[in-house]
Amino acid sequence: MARARNRIAGIISVFGELLITAGLVLGLFVLYSLWWTNVLADRAADKDGAQVRDHWADDAPGALDTRDGIGFLHVPAMGDDEVLVKRGTDPAVLNNGVAGYYTDPIKSALPQEKQGNFTLAAHRDGHGAKFHNIHKVKTGDAIVFESKDTWYVYKVYRTLPETTKYNVDVLQPVPKESGRTEPGRYITLTTCTPMYTSDYRYVVWGELERTERVDRDRTPPAELR
Amino acid sequence: MYGWIWRHLPGNAWVRALISIVLVLAIVYVLFQYVFPWAEPLLPFNDVTVDGQ
Repeated sequence: MARARNRIAGIISVFGELLITAGLVLGLFVLYSLWWTNVLADRAADKDGAQVRDHWADDAPGALDTRDGIGFLHVPAMGDDEVLVKRGTDPAVLNNGVAGYYTDPIKSALPQEKQGNFTLAAHRDGHGAKFHNIHKVKTGDAIVFESKDTWYVYKVYRTLPETTKYNVDVLQPVPKESGRTEPGRYITLTTCTPMYTSDYRYVVWGELERTERVDRDRTPPAELR
Repeated sequence: MYGWIWRHLPGNAWVRALISIVLVLAIVYVLFQYVFPWAEPLLPFNDVTVDGQ
């Protein structure tokens, strides 16, 4: 009788310890997702970004080297950080703390093209969380893209706080859902929402306002000062 | 379970404590380096693109 009771007690205590272990592992996973991936991604992005700037400074041939990144995105409303922009939106690209321009399902235009939609995605949380503060971007805010020789200054004209991941039409060259019907030079930022999940997508649209040539000192445009 | 592990570690209490810490660190390392990177894409927390998939 006593032995049977001991065995039951033993089974219950192992079960309890397994539950405690599971809780600890889940806690560690949160730490991994929200902290450690940021550490890794920021490290990778800083290294790659420095490489792009070195490349520009050396005046090496090939203004558009898609492997190293094509330039930097500055969104003052989201913070002072610059975001390296690379080609593609696969996790392998985005997990390195960059914003990627779409190649699929709808191919992004590049900023220097006469018309089209420059469509970007980046992480909301973890892996650098470069679009973490996308909800702070309001109509009229500036989005600046810096290439080797040009500042592209966009103005936000529409935000869409919640849509489904099936809504690929937000990436169209003329994004009708934003209210625009004429071809133009647009920029589209996409990320997941609400924070810490990816049930929906958050979309911000901007339109090119002007371009400025980069001068010798790389003086930023007024929006970034 | 943890009691069983503790009883089967060699040495006195200090040596056992040291081995325990090393074991915990090794498990955390394996989780961060291999298990979590594998599990993360399978969980619906971090899909940021509109792709219809």
